[in-house]
Amino acid sequence: MFDLPVLTKPERKAATQFRLMLLDYGFEMSQFSVYMRYCYSSAQVETLCKRVEEALPDGGRVNILQFTDKQYERIISFHGAVRQPKNRNPSQFNLF
Amino acid sequence: MPGRIVEIADDHRHLSLLRGFLVVESTGADRQEMGRVPLDDIAAVIANAHGLSYTNNILVACAERGIPFVLCAANHNAIGLLLTIEGNSLQAGRMQAQLSSSKPLQKQLWACLVRAKLAQQAWVLAETGKPTAPVTALISKVRSGDSGNIEAQGAQRYWPLLFGTSFRRDRTVEGINSLLNYGYTVLRAAMARAVVAAGLHPTLGLHHHNAGNAMCLVDDLMEPFRPLIDYCVWKLCQKSQEFITPETKQELVYVLYQDVASPQGRTPLMHAIQQLATSLAQVYVGERFELELPEPGVLDELLDDIN
Repeated sequence: MFDLPVLTKPERKAATQFRLMLLDYGFEMSQFSVYMRYCYSSAQVETLCKRVEEALPDGGRVNILQFTDKQYERIISFHGAVRQPKNRNPSQFNLF
Repeated sequence: MPGRIVEIADDHRHLSLLRGFLVVESTGADRQEMGRVPLDDIAAVIANAHGLSYTNNILVACAERGIPFVLCAANHNAIGLLLTIEGNSLQAGRMQAQLSSSKPLQKQLWACLVRAKLAQQAWVLAETGKPTAPVTALISKVRSGDSGNIEAQGAQRYWPLLFGTSFRRDRTVEGINSLLNYGYTVLRAAMARAVVAAGLHPTLGLHHHNAGNAMCLVDDLMEPFRPLIDYCVWKLCQKSQEFITPETKQELVYVLYQDVASPQGRTPLMHAIQQLATSLAQVYVGERFELELPEPGVLDELLDDIN
């Protein structure tokens, strides 16, 4: 999750660039300023942290939280008053 | 950790690129997003349905990341494979070495692969409670280049033992054969990716040299792993799941994620496949002398947990 300064035009541009970078690396938006990514290994987490660090605009705040797949599945989410279906960890076989 | 296999099996799907994602949409009147997969997590895309459409961007993005894009024809046969032409930074040197490798070396390597395949077939027969002696007896008879064509003799003994004497391997027949086709297609995609990632040319084979086959090397290197697919198909047949369904496909794909005993310890099959391709490249350039092949068979499975 991040907070970026968006007062001036260059700052807004940098914030957008940062957000697009997150999408390029496969992060998905959970809500505004909160992005999530499923990782297979701690090595992958480290690589992504490094990339986030490199792309971070001046004056931005970022917190990277890590939780296990069990904890991810226990997240309870609401949209309006409607309880959303439980999160599922991605399968290694995706059939569309 | 190995990546995911994405299969598009339903008509009316459109694939496109959105930043770092492969986006799958349904087409027609109810156009909506079916899901998105981070490109960095994909090991292969298998395009199985007939009514698909895709943007050029998504094909380019797959090629950039070395993701093989597999085109399937009828009965789950892989008919084409879109691969990157830039697989590895050492590619030029390795392809040169591959091209100038000596005939005796190629023959030795092929013999080594045939022995590994026979050992794997013997493991499958043992695991399914069949006699192994007919196949194990052949292993010591494999000579350089398999000049006695022991591989074919092995197949002649192995198939009737595994699936009964009435079974015929025929790519166009439904049932067991289509399960095998599908399993080999997935295996072939993983092997093709590994070969290109190792900086080798997939067309220059060790033994297969059918002029029309662009994947000779891939077909050579996947030989030792085929019996693991056979074993999975056998297990499906025991549960009388003899047809292609999403469930049987999933089981076949999970063969790639099962652990095998490699010289470097327990590792998923998909990784052992990469180790084999990389070790071949190293043999070509003279950095090592032997292929790196896992022990026959898969280790005790966690498969029941996954499903």
